[in-house]
Amino acid sequence: MTTLTEPPVATAAAEHGSREPGRRKPTASDLVVVLAVLAVVALGLTTDRFVTVANAKAIVTSASLVGIAALGLTLVMIGGSAVSLAISQTVAAVGMIFLSAQSLGLVPALVLAIVGGAAITALQGAVVGYAAANPVVLTIAASFAITGIATGVSGGSSVSASGRGYDHLNATPGGLALSVYVLIALVVVVEWVLRRTRFGRTLYLVGENRPAARAAGMAVGRTTAVAWAIAGALFAVTAAFTAAFNTSANVNLGGTLTFDAIAAVLAGGTPISGGRGSAVRTLAGAVLIAAVSDILLLRGYSTGVQVMVKGLIVLFVVVIVHVRTKGRHA
Amino acid sequence: MTSSPSSARIGDVLVRVDGLVRTYGSTRAVRGASFDVQAGEIHALCGHNGAGKSTVVKMLSGQESPDAGTIHLAGRLVDLGSRQAAQRGGVALVDQELSVVPALTVMENLMLGDPQVGWLDRRRTAARRFRPVLDDLGLGHLRLDQPLTDLGIGERQLVEIARALGQQARLVILDEPTATLSDVESAHVYSAVRKVAASGCSVLFVSHRLGEVLELCDTVTVMRDGDVVATTSTADLTVESLIVQMLGELPERPDRRLDQDTESEVLARIDGLSVPGRVDGMSMTLHAGRVHAVAGQLGSGASEVLRALAGLEPGASGSAVVDGCPVHLGHPSGAARAGIAFASNDRKSEGLFLDKPIAWNLLATRLGHLTRLGVIRGGRWSSSLARLVALCGLDPKRSGHSVGSLSGGNQQKVFVGRSLGRDDVRVLLLDDPTRGVDVGGRAAIHALLRDAADSGMAVLFASTELEELLDLADVVTTMHQGKVVGRHAGRTSGALLLREMTHGSAADEPSAPAEQPPGRAEKREVHA
Repeated sequence: MTTLTEPPVATAAAEHGSREPGRRKPTASDLVVVLAVLAVVALGLTTDRFVTVANAKAIVTSASLVGIAALGLTLVMIGGSAVSLAISQTVAAVGMIFLSAQSLGLVPALVLAIVGGAAITALQGAVVGYAAANPVVLTIAASFAITGIATGVSGGSSVSASGRGYDHLNATPGGLALSVYVLIALVVVVEWVLRRTRFGRTLYLVGENRPAARAAGMAVGRTTAVAWAIAGALFAVTAAFTAAFNTSANVNLGGTLTFDAIAAVLAGGTPISGGRGSAVRTLAGAVLIAAVSDILLLRGYSTGVQVMVKGLIVLFVVVIVHVRTKGRHA
Repeated sequence: MTSSPSSARIGDVLVRVDGLVRTYGSTRAVRGASFDVQAGEIHALCGHNGAGKSTVVKMLSGQESPDAGTIHLAGRLVDLGSRQAAQRGGVALVDQELSVVPALTVMENLMLGDPQVGWLDRRRTAARRFRPVLDDLGLGHLRLDQPLTDLGIGERQLVEIARALGQQARLVILDEPTATLSDVESAHVYSAVRKVAASGCSVLFVSHRLGEVLELCDTVTVMRDGDVVATTSTADLTVESLIVQMLGELPERPDRRLDQDTESEVLARIDGLSVPGRVDGMSMTLHAGRVHAVAGQLGSGASEVLRALAGLEPGASGSAVVDGCPVHLGHPSGAARAGIAFASNDRKSEGLFLDKPIAWNLLATRLGHLTRLGVIRGGRWSSSLARLVALCGLDPKRSGHSVGSLSGGNQQKVFVGRSLGRDDVRVLLLDDPTRGVDVGGRAAIHALLRDAADSGMAVLFASTELEELLDLADVVTTMHQGKVVGRHAGRTSGALLLREMTHGSAADEPSAPAEQPPGRAEKREVHA
């Protein structure tokens, strides 16, 4: 009887019926992706000094700091809370904590930094998760609060290290920056957490359909808060490396990290609407942006062009992801 | 009314619907509907769910084109190809769903989509036109520049009605306008409708509330299975004769073994459950091994009872106890901990994770049992999955496919299957369990629910469909306007259920003719 008055449901179901994952015909968007990858490869191959070990090291090193923060943001995005706009500020504040705690030794300073970053960010995540606050608005407010407190406590001046322990973070075992090894290890761990744990599964479900997860009695608030806490810990790792590299930290330590991290996650093809994405994708996004910037640098383009191309990459990937998602539903 | 554009005299035929046919796929939703509506007449369109009245309304308001048949307005053959064409032809519609924009002001909402609002001096003209309409609807206290967010849901509905009335229409269609309104608000609607009719317009009034139909309307056209059964003057009708017209031969349910086995264990007790404006002190007991139903039309509170138990009505009060443990109302995870599982009537936005695989959806709520220290155990995952897929009768080869790729019936199986085959779910709540599901899928889902009850759960579903209520439920509780009307165990008749759902009990409305309900139903009144 219900079917009589509800034809739209039946048609919608029929539209979904033809979908068969795994074996689908190549579409126009596939072609565009292949061409784009070929174009980047061709550009790289024809660029002087691009295909060298030294250059490859430079690329992964420059991708590593943004990459670690972007991993954290990946969790936030998969969980359906869009983005945090307070990454730079969190990194700056945590970097100041890290350097001023050097007198305690490297490990206690690291622990302090990670706990601090996790706590600051988890607090925002809890408000987003339990009270359904808008993450964009909330993190804009949080970014000002964090900068305000950091400026107040530091008196507006740079914090310098109270010990020499941090220098271990600038090590280059095997000729490669330590942050690269840390990034790779963290990608493996985060990917495993996403795929193999209860938390990971729940995060994908919450991100895909929050009202459904809520109605099913799943722990929406807790899952969101935990995702943000892990994100904050990863921001803190980036902060420690950045502060160690700079040997001093002020409220501008984070630089343009917020948007660099967002760009890396988006360039990896993770949709901002949540429910999908992975650590490996984000790694690919970070490396892609670093590689293209490197090509432009080697070819002698100005910083302005590099920044603009970064924006174009994000735009390109977002449009492609959007087209492909729509394609699966049509 | 300031405007009376209709040149037709009261009593002339204003709308003539002749032989309308509309088919959706293989389903003939309307198979030859004919009736006349006179100028100045309030004409009711009644029928049970799926009778075809919504489709007729859609064809009259330009949302659907008839496959065959004609519509005449004031003697002229019209082609209502779109909502705009229907509006130009003088047909105004107040839809079931609220279609006002909360962010806009009252006046902006009134002017939305109104072809007669000019570009110059629009505010003054609009104010002149709409002020009297609002006053008639009892909205005299509203300012035209007030944003709609300030208004309650009932007032928003009245604004929507004002928009239709202010469009200087010749035919105003109201599709269940009072379903979600309070009595006072409904009374405002009635008086406005009377004024509109007195000015020479025709009103087509679609309603499930038979009492108001008999009270307000001059004539009733009853539809059943896509056909018009009869068009009768309300003077010659009673609630019972109207129900007979709506149902045809009266369905009666077969004997239930419940008659022999009345001693089953009480699993859950609900006491004085209230949701402000929706449910008023609802009490019931749920027995292990039984399928229970709350029957009630939109606005009766049946759906809200389920939502409150599932923790999705933050304002809910009262007590619910499952298996001796009180349920913390107002939070879904509290309900889940108490052993309550809920399947919403909105499968897409509040039910399934459509982009995710069938496997993920089936196992979404039992991840705790499939993990050790938070890590998923592959063996348990796949054995649970295999068991559930078999239980629900799904294709095991497709468990990696997204749920969105399934038919409505199979989606619903996944949705229900999520709560089956586990010890920690004691009470299974389903709101309209077979919405958007075809006949074959219905039978399969009914079988699943029966199995769930047999395994020792208490199943409680909300529905308005008599067949489903009679086929599936062991115990039916009927609701009307937020209150329990009757409770029926064992044999009952569709006519009695429909009477209680559409009209309440005779005691509720003194104006209703006090007649004995037909059928051999056993009925126990509930002291709520």
